[in-house]
Amino acid sequence: MNLIAVAILAPLSATLLIMLLRRFPATLALLGAAIGLVGSLELLANAYNGLSQEIILPGLPGMPLRLVATPLTALLSTLVAVVCTLVMVYAVGYMKKDREQVRFFATLLLFAAAMQTLVLAGDWILLLSAWELIGLSSYLLIGFWYRKPGVKSAAMRAFLVTRSADLGLYVAVFILITNAGSSDIASTLNTSGGPAIAAGLLLLIAAMGKSAQTPLHDWLQRAMAGPTPVSALLHSATLVAAGAILLIRTAPMLAPETLLVIGIVGGVTTVVTGLIALAESDLKRMLAASTSSQYGLMLIAVGAGVPMAALLHLIAHAAIKSSLFLGAGVFQHSRDSTMLDKLQGVGRNQPKIFFGFALAALALAGIPPLSGFFSKDAIIAATLSSDHIWILLPLALAGTLLTGGYMARALRILWLKNGTSQPVSGLAWMGTGLGGLVLLAVILGAAFPGLELLLESALNIRLTENTITRFIPEILGLSAALGGLLLGWFFPVQVLLGPILPWAKRGFVVAGGFDNLMVRPALAIAHGCEKLERLLYKGVLATGRLGLRLGKAARRNDESGIDGMIFSFVRGTVNLGGKARTLQNGLIHKELAISTIASAVILVFMFIVLLTY
Amino acid sequence: MFADNLLSLVIWLPILGGLAVLATGDDRRAPIARILTLVISLATFFASILLYTRFDIKTADMQFVELSPWIEAFNVNYSLGIDGISLLLIILTTFTTVLVVIAGWKVIQKQVAQYMAMFLIMEGLMIGVFSAMDALLFYVFWEAMLVPMYLIIGIWGGPKRVYAAIKFFLYTFIGSVLMLVSLIFLYFKAGQSFDIQTLYAVKLDLTEQIFIFLALFAAFAVKIPMWPVHTWLPDAHVQAPTGGSVVLAAIMLKLGAYGFLRFNIPITPDASHELAFFMIVLSLIAVVYIGLVALVQEDMKKLIAYSSISHMGFVTMGLFLFNPQGMEGAIIQMISHGFISGAMFICVGMMYDRMHSRLIKDYGGVVNTMPVFAAFLLLFGMANSGLPATSGFVGEFLVILGAFQVNHWYAAIAALTLIFGAAYTLWMYKRVIFGKVTNEKVKGLTDINARETMLLATLAIAVLAMGIWPFPFLEVLHVSVDNILSLASVSKL
Repeated sequence: MNLIAVAILAPLSATLLIMLLRRFPATLALLGAAIGLVGSLELLANAYNGLSQEIILPGLPGMPLRLVATPLTALLSTLVAVVCTLVMVYAVGYMKKDREQVRFFATLLLFAAAMQTLVLAGDWILLLSAWELIGLSSYLLIGFWYRKPGVKSAAMRAFLVTRSADLGLYVAVFILITNAGSSDIASTLNTSGGPAIAAGLLLLIAAMGKSAQTPLHDWLQRAMAGPTPVSALLHSATLVAAGAILLIRTAPMLAPETLLVIGIVGGVTTVVTGLIALAESDLKRMLAASTSSQYGLMLIAVGAGVPMAALLHLIAHAAIKSSLFLGAGVFQHSRDSTMLDKLQGVGRNQPKIFFGFALAALALAGIPPLSGFFSKDAIIAATLSSDHIWILLPLALAGTLLTGGYMARALRILWLKNGTSQPVSGLAWMGTGLGGLVLLAVILGAAFPGLELLLESALNIRLTENTITRFIPEILGLSAALGGLLLGWFFPVQVLLGPILPWAKRGFVVAGGFDNLMVRPALAIAHGCEKLERLLYKGVLATGRLGLRLGKAARRNDESGIDGMIFSFVRGTVNLGGKARTLQNGLIHKELAISTIASAVILVFMFIVLLTY
Repeated sequence: MFADNLLSLVIWLPILGGLAVLATGDDRRAPIARILTLVISLATFFASILLYTRFDIKTADMQFVELSPWIEAFNVNYSLGIDGISLLLIILTTFTTVLVVIAGWKVIQKQVAQYMAMFLIMEGLMIGVFSAMDALLFYVFWEAMLVPMYLIIGIWGGPKRVYAAIKFFLYTFIGSVLMLVSLIFLYFKAGQSFDIQTLYAVKLDLTEQIFIFLALFAAFAVKIPMWPVHTWLPDAHVQAPTGGSVVLAAIMLKLGAYGFLRFNIPITPDASHELAFFMIVLSLIAVVYIGLVALVQEDMKKLIAYSSISHMGFVTMGLFLFNPQGMEGAIIQMISHGFISGAMFICVGMMYDRMHSRLIKDYGGVVNTMPVFAAFLLLFGMANSGLPATSGFVGEFLVILGAFQVNHWYAAIAALTLIFGAAYTLWMYKRVIFGKVTNEKVKGLTDINARETMLLATLAIAVLAMGIWPFPFLEVLHVSVDNILSLASVSKL
C-alpha cells in the first residue's frame, strides 16, 4: 500500500472509527497516530534512498490532485507525525477526567490528517483545501470547551482572522495557476516577474494569518482558551507552521523585493511579540506570543534567502515549544490556572516536569548543545549573508535577546517561592509524551547536518557556510541568548520594559485593534446596506401601488371598451379566485388579481400587434 | 415499455401521482396520502437515476428525445430532450422532492393530501421546464409551476402568507409575460417554429438581440433572483413552510439560471457578450452587498435567504464569463447550492418546529440540548461558507478561477465572499448554538429523532460526496458546456 496514503488515511480512519464506535477514543487515537507515524518514517527513509512517491487523483477538470513525497515533504510529514503521536500520548493523561473524549480525539485526528495532506500536497488545490481544513479543526478545537466564557468568540475570531488572510492564498493560487497553466506546485515555481512578486506578497499575507505575524498575531493568544494539548500541537508545532512551510516551499519563486518584505514582517513580529511575551502575565499566553516571535525569526531567515535555516528552526521549535506547552499543561492541572502569579513555585512541586520545561526553555533561548542553538545560529548566519544585513541582523539578535528574557522570567517565577499544588492524575501518560518531546528538543541539533544534506537538492539553496564564518554568528547568537537570560532572571519586567509595559500588556493594540479597525466598520457598512435594502423594498412596494392604480384605471376603461374575450377570461379568474378563497379565506386579493391579469393580457396583445405588423 | 419515454415518465409520474394523492381527500386518510407520496417520489427519483446511468457523456446532442405534435395549427410540439446540464438539475429536483416529503411527514397536519400533492405536481412541472425543447411547452411548464408554489405559500405559510404569496406571484408573473412576448417574436422570426434548437440558428441584429435578451432577463433575473429584483425572496422564504422554502431555494432559483443557459446565451450570443459586464456587475453586487445584508439579519430564514441570493450571484457571474471553468463552476454551484440551502432551511425548520421562533436572539446554547443537530448544522454552515471538501468549495473555486482569467478584479471582489460567507454563517452559528442557555425553552429541546437524522445525514453525504469527489458531476457537464460555449462564440450578426 502507498505510504503517503498510510500517513494521511491512518489518522483519518481513526477519526471515523471513533465517531462511529463512540468508545475507546484514546486507544484508537494512539493507534491511528502510531500507524501514521510508521508511514511517515518509511517515507522519510525512502527519501533518504532517493525514492520519491506520488499519488495523482482526479480533481477539477484539467487540474488533478497530487500528493508527493519529496525529501522536504517527507521530512515535514515525519515531523508532524512525531509531534502528533507524542502529544496524543500526553493527551490521554491530560483528558482523563474530561467527559467528551470522543469529540476531542476525533477532532484532533481530523486535524492530523488535514495537516499531513497539507505538507504532502503536490498541487495548489489540495494544499488550499488542507489549509482551510486545518483552520476548521483549529476552530473546533479552540471552541472545544464551548461552555467557558470567551471561548466561542476566540474560536470564531481565529477562524475569521485566518480566513481573511487566506484570501491572499486564494488569489495567489489563481495567479499561479493562470500563469503556469497548471496547478502542480513544482511547475508553478518557475513563475517570474510581476506575477511572482504579486503572488509572493499574497502568499505572505496568508502566511501572516496562519503563523500569527504582526499585525495578525492577536488571534493566537486568544486561541489558548482551548485545551493544552491543542495549544501544543496546533498552535505551536504544526498549524501555525503552515505559514512558514508555505514560504519555505515557494522560496525558489520569491523575488528579492518580496524577500525583503518577508524579512521585515518577520523582524517586526519577532520584536513586537517578544515584548508582549515578556510583559504577559499568563503562562500559556506568553508561550503563544513566543510562538509568533519564533515564527518571526523563521520569516527573517526566509527573507535573508536561506529557507534552510528557517526549516531547521521550524523543526527545533516544534519539539521545543510543544514540550513547553505540555509542561505548562501539567502546571495548569496542579494549580487549576495558567496565570503566572498563581503558578509561582509550581516547579518545586513537579521537579521532573520542571526539569524538562527548563531544558526546553534553554533550548529555545539558544544555549548549546541544545537544538535551538544550532537553528538560531543558522538564522543569524543567514542574516549575515543577506544583502540587507543591517536590517535583518539587529532584528534577529533582538528576537534572540527577548527569547532569553521571557524564558528566564518564566523559569524564575515557576521556580522561586513556595506554593501548594494539588495532585495531578494521568501524570504517567503526560510525562511520557513530554519526555519524548524534550528528548527531541535536546538532541535534534545532532541531526541537522544530515537533514541539510538531504534537503540540499530539494530546496535548491546554498549550503551553510564553512566553520570560520560560522564562528561569528555563534558568538553573536550566544551573547544575545545569555544576555537575555541574565536580564530576564535578574531584572523585574517593570525595569526592563519601563514605560512601554502597560502598552505591551495590552498587546500593543493600536487604535482599538482588530475590533475597531475591521469589525466595527464592517458591521457599520453591513447596517448601511441593510438600510439601503429597506429603501429598495419600500421602492418596490411604491411601484407596486402605482401599478395597482394603473391597473384600476385600465380596468375602468377596459370594462366598457374591450371585447368579451378578456372579460370572460377575467371573470373566469375571479370565479377561480372565489373557489380558492373557500379553500383559504382571503387567499386572493380580488382587485389585485383582476388588475394584474387584465393589464398583463393587454400588454401581451400590444406587443404582439407591434411586433408582427 | 418506458425505455423510449423515460423523460415523459419522469415528468408525468409525479403529476398524475399528485392527482391520485389529491384524490385521497381529507385528513382522515392522511397516512395513505403520505405513503403514496413517498412511493411516487422515490419511484421518480430512481427513474431519474436511470437517466443518469443511460446518459451518454460523449455527445453534445440532446438525449432521450421525444417529439410529437401538440398544437399543429401553430406548429407547437411536445418536444423533450436533455443534455448534461438538464440531467443534473432533474436529479436535483427528484432528490429534493423526496427529502421535502420526508421533512413534511409529521410537521404538516392539516390538508396533508393537498400539501403532498402540490409538491409532486410541482416536481413534474419543474422537470418539464428542464426538459422542454419547445419554447411554448417550456413557457407552459414555467407558468404552471407558479400555481402550486403560490398555493403552498398561501395555504401552509406563516402569518403574512397571503401577502408573500401574492408578491411572489406578481413578481415572477410580470417577468414571464415579457418572456412570452420575446418567444412569440422569435417564433415569427424563425418561420413559425418554437423549436429551441431552431431558435439557436435564427439570425438577429444586435438591437433585436438586446431587446430579446432584456425581455428574457426580466423573467429569469426575477427567478434567480438577481439584485435588484430580489426583494420578493426574503418575504416568500420567511412565510413559506419549510418544504416550500426548500423547493424554492434548492430548485426554483435554478430555473432562472437554466433559462439564461438555455435561451439567452445561445439565442442572443452577441447581446450576451455585450451585456456580460452588466450581468457580472449585478452578480458582484449580489455577492458583496447582499453578503453584508445577510450579516445583520435577525431572522434565521431571512439570513439564509439573503445568503442564497449572494451564492446565486456566483452562478450568474460564472455563466457570463464565457469560459469552461466559469460555466462548469456555475452549474456545480447550482447543484451544490441546492443541497446546502435545502439543508439549511430544513435545519431552521427543525428548530422552528420545536421553538416556534426564527429569531436568532431567542436561541443560544442549543448545543447543550441538541448536540447531534449542532454537528450537522456546523457541517452545512461550513459548506455554506465554501469550505474545501464540501460541495460549496468546488463551484465557488471554479467560478472565481474562471473570473480571474477574465479580469483580476472580478475574482478579487468575488473572493470577498470567503470572508462574508464565513462571517454571517459562523456568527449566526455562534449565537444560536454556542453559549449559555438563556431561554428557558431551549432547555427543554429534544435532539433530532431518527427520521430527522436520516434526512440530514442524506444531505450531509451529498454535500461531502460532491465536495470530495466532484468527478461524476463534472464529467456529464463537459460536452454540454462546451456545446453552449461554442454556440455562444458564433456571432449571429
